Amino acid sequence: MTFGQAASVPAYEPEPRKIHVIQGEFHVASGEDVVLTTILGSCVAACIRDPALGIGGMNHFLLPGEAGDEGMRYGVQSMELLMNALLRRGSRRERLEVKLFGGAHLFDGLSDVGGQNAAFAERFVRAEGLQYVGGSLRGDRARRIQYWPSSGRARQILLAPTESRVFAAERRAPAVKADDAGALELF
Amino acid sequence: MPASSSLACLVVDDQQTMRSLVRTGLQQLGFRTIYEAPDGEEGLRHMLSRPVHLVISDYNMPKLDGLGLLRAIRSHPPIQKTAFIMLTGRADKELVQRAVQFGVNNYLVKPFTVQTLKEKIEAIFGVLA
Repeated sequence: MTFGQAASVPAYEPEPRKIHVIQGEFHVASGEDVVLTTILGSCVAACIRDPALGIGGMNHFLLPGEAGDEGMRYGVQSMELLMNALLRRGSRRERLEVKLFGGAHLFDGLSDVGGQNAAFAERFVRAEGLQYVGGSLRGDRARRIQYWPSSGRARQILLAPTESRVFAAERRAPAVKADDAGALELF
Repeated sequence: MPASSSLACLVVDDQQTMRSLVRTGLQQLGFRTIYEAPDGEEGLRHMLSRPVHLVISDYNMPKLDGLGLLRAIRSHPPIQKTAFIMLTGRADKELVQRAVQFGVNNYLVKPFTVQTLKEKIEAIFGVLA
């Protein structure tokens, strides 16, 4: 290198501000530096955004909650809270784009709660006339999801089968190591 | 003891999924005459043309929200005595206080069970037959 010559410096890329969405919660955010994250087994996360405003949000629900005496719980409630939060910030229902993730069936022999969650989420999107733009539902492995609400970009990392089982057994664990786990997919 | 099958109800919510759930709950309680509206404006139009005994309305809605609908109903003499239950997404003391000021009969915090829905309705009309 010759003295006086500018060194090649990689462009500065700030670390994204990560917001983790846990079971039963939702979060709405905007800004290019924000990424919403969650880890899903049989749970489902809906990622919904208004591209005109560059804002979006993610929820994370445990059970669909449609039928029977417990009918008005969980998934329905979670979707409503997220939708209302977006609409309150000026989003328009007809512009909303939805991505759905999760709903895995982690253990053979047990009831397929994941499948029920996935079916509910799909039914909700259809019933409400929302625009479905991608995602990944069902399967037999847990997922780590990252979602950038400003751009709508989403990234899914499938956890290795063993980690999926550990995750299912320790659903409350806030962090599951998944660095070398499974496939990386973009949505 | 009113027969639930004799009571007409209007469910007002901008989410079709929630309207369906409330409708299902009401049907389980024996209601037979159930109408739906997707926002307060349509709800009010419905009330003015086809009054009902009970309105179950969401708070957060486009065009005219639940409080606006409640106020409009209370200011129209032919329908001003209609029973009104407000649905809220989360327990919000301030909202409930405002709704009480405007004459709400009861409120329901989502999520709720059919049993809770029954209790709220019976608190207004008495035990349902």
